[in-house]
Amino acid sequence: MATLTVTQNFGKGAQDIGVYKSLGGYSSLSSRLFDLSQFELIDLVMRSGLRGRGGAGFPTGMKWSFVPRNSGKPVYLVVNADEGEPGTFKDHRLMLEDPHRLIEGMIICGWALGVRTAYIYVRGEFLPAIEALNAAVKQAYEAGLLGKNIAGTSFCMDIYVHRGAGAYICGEETALINSLEGFKGQPRLKPPFPAVSGAFASPTCVNNVETLMALPWILENGPEAYAKMGTPKSPGTKVFSVSGDVKRPGVYEAPLGTPLMEILEGKDYCQGVVGTLKGVIPGGSSSPALTAEEAKQANLDYEALAGLKTMLGSGAVVAFNTTRSVVGMLASLTRFYAHESCGQCTPCREGTGYADRILKTVVSGHGRDGDLEQILDLAANFTSSTICPLGAADSAPIINFIGKFRSEFDAVVAKNPDRGEPRLSKNFRPGAFWE
Amino acid sequence: MSHHPVHVVQPADAEILPKLETPAVISRLEELIRRYPVKRGALLQALWLAQETLGWLPNAAIRWAALKCEVSPVHAYGVSMFYTMYKKEPTGRFFLQICQNVSCHIQGAENVIVHAEKVLGVASQGGNTADGLFTLLRVECLGACGNGPVMQVNDDFATDVVDGELAMPDGVGLTTERFDRIVAWCRARAVAIPTEPARDSLGGMLVGTGGHPGATGATSAVQGIYAPPAPALGLGSSRTEDGKVKLSWRAAPETTTFHLETRSGSGEFAALASLSGKDKEWIGELAVGTEVRLVAESAVGRAKPSNIAKVVA
Repeated sequence: MATLTVTQNFGKGAQDIGVYKSLGGYSSLSSRLFDLSQFELIDLVMRSGLRGRGGAGFPTGMKWSFVPRNSGKPVYLVVNADEGEPGTFKDHRLMLEDPHRLIEGMIICGWALGVRTAYIYVRGEFLPAIEALNAAVKQAYEAGLLGKNIAGTSFCMDIYVHRGAGAYICGEETALINSLEGFKGQPRLKPPFPAVSGAFASPTCVNNVETLMALPWILENGPEAYAKMGTPKSPGTKVFSVSGDVKRPGVYEAPLGTPLMEILEGKDYCQGVVGTLKGVIPGGSSSPALTAEEAKQANLDYEALAGLKTMLGSGAVVAFNTTRSVVGMLASLTRFYAHESCGQCTPCREGTGYADRILKTVVSGHGRDGDLEQILDLAANFTSSTICPLGAADSAPIINFIGKFRSEFDAVVAKNPDRGEPRLSKNFRPGAFWE
Repeated sequence: MSHHPVHVVQPADAEILPKLETPAVISRLEELIRRYPVKRGALLQALWLAQETLGWLPNAAIRWAALKCEVSPVHAYGVSMFYTMYKKEPTGRFFLQICQNVSCHIQGAENVIVHAEKVLGVASQGGNTADGLFTLLRVECLGACGNGPVMQVNDDFATDVVDGELAMPDGVGLTTERFDRIVAWCRARAVAIPTEPARDSLGGMLVGTGGHPGATGATSAVQGIYAPPAPALGLGSSRTEDGKVKLSWRAAPETTTFHLETRSGSGEFAALASLSGKDKEWIGELAVGTEVRLVAESAVGRAKPSNIAKVVA
């Protein structure tokens, strides 16, 4: 079994602070952390090579270094626990199993950036996780590890859990900040970037749950030990959420660069695919899928997947076998993006809805000649003309699924005897979408 | 459930406000508002609080939250419509949400949803059963894809009933049989416990932990000086093209002065030069093998010395 840096406390009852401490928890809140200046700690995280685990994979230490010091404004830390990408469920498990590790990681980040107030933005559906976090925060306050003078130092930090209310787009960092401020969760234009002007017009660091939870291990074992794992450009370990047609779906931690088939078939991981593998979505719903052939060559790290024209994203692996209809899957994904478009930018608001309505008619057996070209044309147009990447997240699977599994789509359209009839625009009136 | 519920009869303010203006609700709300530097930040939480108290969000409650968080009523209304989890109409006692997104879809979510519609006799677009027990809604990703197809019963994940309790065992997804078991569990609970006990919608609030400063806006204070001053990092020596000694390093932006020190024969470090805090290198003449170090100084004070570098040939 490979070294675990984030999930080592799973199943050990680490929700209780006593158990967490007996497993070595909160040991970084000592001279190991408090002797470091901000500059040294940021340098240490940079040397570890840790990259953001929320999807974009941006180097964490570099992100921290963008937060201005002595701006005269408070610095906020906002934890992005609005895990909503279909296929992703790692943060959910991490918060339920080991909430104290997140708090410890937040204190480390808070020390590096001079954070006085931190928020954990948890998606509204995760009430059990919110309860676990609140209980852990309470215990940490009682143990003197939060609030004023943490562990006897002059460092003060408060953590509040903020419950979201059901909007996928709030996983985008500027939408999340808007939601935290009591607005609709609509993304903001960048620049200014949140590091300079984020929550309440103050410097703000938004980090994913898993990113912060890797910090205690890095501090304990040193950045070099972390950088040694994984690949040179994608160091460390990553938590993968594996779902779909596998024997043992679940949350698994593995070094970056692990072959995809090892995760699907290895005895420490999913122990095999159910049925015959047709394809794999390697990094959440917005990453282009791999065919079974491509999946056999794929390694799970940022660069290897980019080489296969897809992405690691949040590490959500969805495997599907030959009995599953790709047409139905794409219709399901597109319906999701149409539903979750925040409505701010026209290309995404109209484009995702339009694509969704066409795909619904195709799935229901009323597809016509030219429908697929129409969807592809739409997808090419709402991919990069918007404030945030939600449109691109929909167009990527559309272009990819139709490109790689074209024969399946054609076969569905071919079943419609009226497929040669011209499409009337009235079939796509917006009312058809708002059921 | 984000469509406009025009058919819902809106109760009058006089009916709603007494339920919200209770000491218990107000003290929780005040604690929530103290968490944010502006009252508006607590709007989502105030709406949750109202929904928890009333079971749903009538317009009167939205206006109440707007007043408390100092935003316009139309702002609060817009926010309540944007987020799908705010219930703009009453639901049954057991709110069943079944995920239809991709991971659940390929594991047969549609079968379960069709079965659920048949068993309960309602549409899966938010239909209520006549006995007021169930509301059925198909939703997008619930974030438990390893248990696909997955369902939430009110705020809890449930794919089966284990030992008389709703549960989501590892890797176990919903099937039509398990759905029936969960519905039977709900019906049995409705007989045993006449009304559903209220559940803290904010997951157990923290009141009086001592860590929360009292006044509104206090939480937005700037962190005082807490970390030791930053030393220079990675001091190294090399030679310029014309053979001079070149020292280079990395440093924090807040450094005001660097003190360059060399080790003398007695083994003690002595000051050689003072450099500006913006400097990133120093070029000059030093004997090969001389040991040098930098001491950074900022407004906070002197940092611990940098690593020791030896002048190379």
